[in-house]
Amino acid sequence: MSFVLGVLIGLAAGVVSYLLFVSTSRDLPNISTAVPSSEVETREAENNGYLAQIQDAINSLSVGVVIVDAKGVEIFRNKLAESVTGVIHSDVLVEEVVEQHLSAALNGETKRQVLDLFGPPRKVFSVSATPLLIGGAVGMIEDTTERYLVDAVRTDFVANISHELKTPVGALAVLADALSQEDDLDIVHRLSEKMVEEALRVGRTIDDLLELSRIEFGGEAVKDEVDAEAIISESISRVSPLASTHSIKVAMIELPQPLKVVGDRRQLVSAIGNLVENAVKYSEAGSAIEVSAQDAGEWVEFTVKDFGLGIPSRDLDRVFERFYRVDRARSRDTGGTGLGLAIVRHVANNHGGEVSVTSIEGEGSTFALKIPKFIVQNQSVMKESA
Amino acid sequence: MNRLAHDELTELRSELLRVTASLVESIPRATQILLDQDLEGAEYQILADDEMDSRTLDLEDRCVTLMGLHAPVASELRHAVTIMKMSADVERSADLVVNICKVARRIHGIQLDPKMRGLIGRMGTQAQILFRHAIQAYADLDLPMAKAVDDMDLFLDYLHRQFIESIFESHSAGTIDLPVAIQMAVTARFFERIGDHAVNVAHYVQYLITGEIPPAGDHRRGGRLSDSTGEIEGLPA
Repeated sequence: MSFVLGVLIGLAAGVVSYLLFVSTSRDLPNISTAVPSSEVETREAENNGYLAQIQDAINSLSVGVVIVDAKGVEIFRNKLAESVTGVIHSDVLVEEVVEQHLSAALNGETKRQVLDLFGPPRKVFSVSATPLLIGGAVGMIEDTTERYLVDAVRTDFVANISHELKTPVGALAVLADALSQEDDLDIVHRLSEKMVEEALRVGRTIDDLLELSRIEFGGEAVKDEVDAEAIISESISRVSPLASTHSIKVAMIELPQPLKVVGDRRQLVSAIGNLVENAVKYSEAGSAIEVSAQDAGEWVEFTVKDFGLGIPSRDLDRVFERFYRVDRARSRDTGGTGLGLAIVRHVANNHGGEVSVTSIEGEGSTFALKIPKFIVQNQSVMKESA
Repeated sequence: MNRLAHDELTELRSELLRVTASLVESIPRATQILLDQDLEGAEYQILADDEMDSRTLDLEDRCVTLMGLHAPVASELRHAVTIMKMSADVERSADLVVNICKVARRIHGIQLDPKMRGLIGRMGTQAQILFRHAIQAYADLDLPMAKAVDDMDLFLDYLHRQFIESIFESHSAGTIDLPVAIQMAVTARFFERIGDHAVNVAHYVQYLITGEIPPAGDHRRGGRLSDSTGEIEGLPA
């Protein structure tokens, strides 16, 4: 308590003397000797009002602020700074860096440092400190975690899209070049087969990109009544040729009661189909995949559970990004376009639902897609009949 | 003990919390470095150990000076001794973190199978949780939490056993060769040892609060820790 009080008094004294200095020097020279004491009191009360406002304003900033006087004694720390600093764990690491920067600032240096903390939770802070003209220094702590993540998404997207489009096109160029100088019919045959394969690959990627943008900017959402079981069985039958070549068993868990959802049948089949296809690609031969739907209040939750490779925990938040690959070295083996999960996420968004994933590397993953349940509005009908 | 010595003890406590925060932070970092085989990160982490060494040594020095100059008694003596002992455990754990980073360099370019990667991630998380709780127990002088660290270590030991099994599986399936299998076995041990140091820290916290060091092996519920494999004998597998 006494510490807080001390900080408040210190800050009050500082700001009041500063405000007095500003007001006297600006318009009323020698005012302190000229005005009667009652006027000084009102002015002080006014300044205290300003002080409270300034404090409130600094507290509502989205940046942490720590102010020290010329001797390095702390006179103010706003709420955000208090919440990210402390005496233990990651908090003390932030504290340490702030202290270092403040003492550097007192020596006239202005530095900035990016602090990347593994946590958990993962946090990225940008810490800096600047000397103040009237003595002392101010330290600033910015939470840049979000910006850091968005930047990572953006740079990866650009890198990945060029990888996905350029690799097959590059391969086509090389194959065509080899073809033009080849007389041996056998080799010509083999090369042209490869070319068809690569061309189909680019075609698939472009198809998926188009599908994605159609879902993204698809205009009015369709709100049909769709049977959950029909969606699942259609998705499974779409993937079954791929599953049987990998000798993987895709099974639908019986639904306890018929469930209906509100949405666009085609998009929903595409979303569940993509989830099942992914599960097949990242499972080992002979393993099983379970697809089911549960009643979850206002929602129907579709789940696709596999017992395959799983996803490293650091990639879990990012698998729904376009072209994001957990393991780029494998991406050509699976033959996917890297857009499947992005499509699923957009379908979920279009329906006002959500998609989530839980996974343990080496043990398997479970994807869950929540779609609004179709609720039969028979209450009004009953009323009428009654 | 006079005011000056009392302040010094408070300072030492705060410094120990800081050094341990660095260690706790470095455990998931090293785990990620190992999984990504991030050479630059490994180099950085290995160099950062010098600072950890000098800070922990300094802590020990200051504890000795405090005891020599001010002759603390009772709980203050225990506190000074505890800080000295704990800083040694923190220093050793930081070395183990460095060892993990060195493994990242040695296995560079080798693909580990997902099951092993998953287990490495879980061991790293568990080792960090152990240390986090041990130091939290110290900061809050929380006896039940200090005792809980023992039980948490059982899970790390379980993961360690699982990991050893998965090394055998991977090796016999031919996905990793013998040198890598050995590196992995050693790595598993590093994580397991970090957990043991956390248990030590938790024991000193118990000593600080109660004045008694828990008897060795007691936390294994009568089971005996095998030195060679880190396995607990006398417990159902």
